[in-house]
Amino acid sequence: MARIELKNLRKEWGGAIAVAGIDLAIEDGAFVAVLGPSGCGKSTTLMMLAGIYRPTSGDITFDGARVNDVEARGRNVGIVFQSYALYPNMTVLENVMFPLRFKTIERTEAERRSREVATLVRIDGLLDRRPGQLSGGQQQRVALARALVKRPHLLLLDEPLSNLDAGLRLTMRTEIRRIQRELGVTTILVTHDQVEATTMADRVVVMNSGRVEQQGTAEDLYERPATLFVASFVGSPPINLFDGHAAGGMLSVNEARLPLADPVQGAVVLGLRPESLRVNGSGDSGRTISRISAVEPMGREVLYTADSAFGVIRFLEAGAEPRHRESDDVPLGFPPASALLFDKDSGRRLDARVAA
Amino acid sequence: MAADNLVAARGAQARPDWPALARRAWRRRFTGQSMLLAFLVVVSAPIVLPYFWMVVIAFTARTGGVASDVLWTACAVIAPAVLIYSIVHMSVPAPRLRLAAGLVLLAIAGALLAALIGERLHLDNFRFLTRANFVEEIRSKATSGAQFPSVWNAFFNSLLLAVSQTVIILTVSSLAGYYISRFAFRGRSVFLQGMLVLHAFPAMTLIIPIFLMLHWIGLLDTIVGVMLVLAAIELPFYVFVMKGFFDGVPWDIEMSAMTDGATRRQAFRLVVLPQVRFGLIAVAVFAFIRAWEEYIFVRTFLIENKNWVMSLYLFWVSDDVMGVDYGIVAAVAVFYVLPSFLLYVFCQKYLTQMTIGGIKG
Ligand SMILES: Nc1ncnc2c1ncn2[C@@H]1O[C@H](COP(=O)(O)OP(=O)(O)OP(=O)(O)O)[C@@H](O)[C@H]1O
Ligand SMILES: [Mg+2]
Repeated sequence: MARIELKNLRKEWGGAIAVAGIDLAIEDGAFVAVLGPSGCGKSTTLMMLAGIYRPTSGDITFDGARVNDVEARGRNVGIVFQSYALYPNMTVLENVMFPLRFKTIERTEAERRSREVATLVRIDGLLDRRPGQLSGGQQQRVALARALVKRPHLLLLDEPLSNLDAGLRLTMRTEIRRIQRELGVTTILVTHDQVEATTMADRVVVMNSGRVEQQGTAEDLYERPATLFVASFVGSPPINLFDGHAAGGMLSVNEARLPLADPVQGAVVLGLRPESLRVNGSGDSGRTISRISAVEPMGREVLYTADSAFGVIRFLEAGAEPRHRESDDVPLGFPPASALLFDKDSGRRLDARVAA
Repeated sequence: MAADNLVAARGAQARPDWPALARRAWRRRFTGQSMLLAFLVVVSAPIVLPYFWMVVIAFTARTGGVASDVLWTACAVIAPAVLIYSIVHMSVPAPRLRLAAGLVLLAIAGALLAALIGERLHLDNFRFLTRANFVEEIRSKATSGAQFPSVWNAFFNSLLLAVSQTVIILTVSSLAGYYISRFAFRGRSVFLQGMLVLHAFPAMTLIIPIFLMLHWIGLLDTIVGVMLVLAAIELPFYVFVMKGFFDGVPWDIEMSAMTDGATRRQAFRLVVLPQVRFGLIAVAVFAFIRAWEEYIFVRTFLIENKNWVMSLYLFWVSDDVMGVDYGIVAAVAVFYVLPSFLLYVFCQKYLTQMTIGGIKG
C-alpha cells in the first residue's frame, strides 16, 4: 500500500504528446477512477505508473520516494490489462503463481497464497484450466488474482470491465470494490464509462487530451464541473449547451433572455442538465413555451426533445408513462441555481449564476 | 373450388420429398468427392511413383541392371488395391468399416506381393552400409581412384551440417525476429525490405565470389565453411518468418510478465517463446531438411572425400563411366531420404502452422 504522487508527468511519442503534464496525489488505500475519452492518455499514464513506459519528464513517487528509474519488476505494482494478458501456455494456477516465481518464496507457500487469492476472487474451481477455456468474466478474475497475489503497493485496472456483458459488469463492479476494501490496496481504475467511474471510486479524475480536467467526487463533477468538457462528459443524457452573450446584466441565448445575478460580460455558454429542466416548476427562471418534438420512454423516466426559445433542448421527467405527447406545447423552466455558465473562450465555469 | 385447389397445391409444395432430396445431396457429394479423389491420385502419381520405384529397385535389383518386370508386377498389385480402397472409402460411411476394409485390402496386397515378388527381395544393395570399399568390387580400382569413404562418414557429415544449421538458424532467427518485431530502431523498414530482396536473389549467382572468399579465409573444403554460407543465405527468410510469429504475440503479455517481476529475458523465455513454439518447430524442421538436402554448395565447396555429405556420396556412387549399378544407387537414395521423411511425418502437423504465422507477419 502506498501513497502515490504524480508531478507534472509528461509523455511524448516522438513529438506527439500523449500525456501533457499531470499532477495527481492518491492517498494510501484510496480507490481512484481515471475517466476520459478514448486516446486521452489514460493507458499511457497507467503504463508509466507500472514502469513499462519511461516518462519524458516529471516525477512519480511512491510514499515520497521517486521511482522514475525503478524498473517495472521492482515496483511491486499489480496490473490488469484491458485484454487480461493471461499467459496462454500456463494453467490458471500457474498464471496466478507466476509473479511469485520471482520472489524468494517457497513453492508450497506460493501455491497456498495463490489458492487463497483464487478463493478471494472466486476462481478456486478453475485452477487446472487454461485461459483459453475460460469465459471473459472468469479470465478477468484470473487476471485480478494474478495482480493481487504479490500483494502490490498499487493496483492498476485498465478498463477491466469493457469486455463483459451488462449483467457481469454489474457484479464485477461490486466484486472489485469488495476486494479493494478487503485488502485496502491503493487502486487506480481506468475507464471511459462514467457510471463505472462514479459508482466504484471514491474519487474521479477526468482526463482530456493528456491533461487532468478536474478531480473530485462524483457529486463535484456533476454539480460543479470545472470546465465545459467535464460538464459535457459527465451526465447521461448529456447536458444541453447553448452559446449566448452576456451584456448589461442580461444573458441572451437565441430568442431567450435571462437576467443574471452576477456581473458577466462577453461570450458565454449556458449549460442546462436534462434532469434539472421541468414543466410548470414554481419559481423557475427562463420559462418558455416549448413544443415537444420527440418522446422517448426510457423505463423509469421519459426523455423529451423540444424546440424552445434557447434552441433544441432535451429534458427528463420521472415516471414510466409519458405525460406529454409530440407537438404539445409545455411551459419549460429550470431552478435558477441549476443553470451552469461557462466562459466560451477558456471553457472554464464561471461563478456567476442566473437570477430568479 | 379454386381456393381448395390452391390450398392443396400449397400443401404439396410445403411438404418436399425429403428422401429424394437427401438422395440427390448424397449423389452430388459422392460424385464431387470421387472426382476430387481421382484428381489427387492422378496428380500425386508422378510424385509418388518415382519414390515407389526407388524403394522397389533398392530391394530387388541385382548387379547388372534393373528387372523392370518387378516394377510392373508391384504396380499391378498396388494400383487396383488403391482403386478398390478409394471406392470403399467413397461408398462406406462408417469409419470402422473403412478401416477394416483397408486392413483386409492391405493384407491381400501384401500377400500378393509376397507371392509374386517375395523371393526377389534382398538386402544386398544395402551392403554399402557396412562395407566402405564396396565400390571397388563393382568397378576396377582404376576408375574408383582413391579409397571410397564409408557412408557413415558422409552421414555424420550431413548430420553435423544439418544439426548445426538448425541450431544457428533457430538461435539467430528467434532472437533477430523478436528484436525486429518488438523494437523500433533506425533503418528498421529498410532492413526488412533488404532481407526480402536478399531472399529474392538466386544465391547461385554468388557461388564464384563465395568460393573465392572461402578460399581466402581458408574455409574452402570444410563443413564449417558450407555451414556459414548456407546459414547466411537462408537466415533472412527465417528471420522474416519468426518476426511474423512474434508479431502475433500480444505486447500485453510481455508487459504483464515484466510487471509481475520478470526481466525482459525471463519474459521472453517464459512467456513469449512458448507462444511461438510451432514457429520454432517449423523453422527447425525446414532448416534441418534444407541443409540435409543441400547439393549445389556442397558440390562446389567440398572437395576431399572425407568431407563428403550424403548428397555428394550419392552423386559419386552413381557417377561411373562404366555404367551405373542402379540397385546400389537406389539403396543409397532410400537411406538418404529416410531422415527427412521421418522428420516430415512426425512434424507435419506443426509445419502446416508455418503458413498461418507467415501470413500474419
Ligand atoms: N506506443 C505508442 N507510440 C506512439 N503513440 C502512442 C503509443 N501509445 C499510445 N500512443 C498515443 O498516445 C495517446 C494516448 O494513448 P492511450 O493509449 O494512453 O489512450 P487511452 O486514454 O488509454 O485510450 P483508450 O481509452 O482508447 O484505451 C494516443 O493518441 C495514442 O495514439
Ligand atoms: Mg487505453
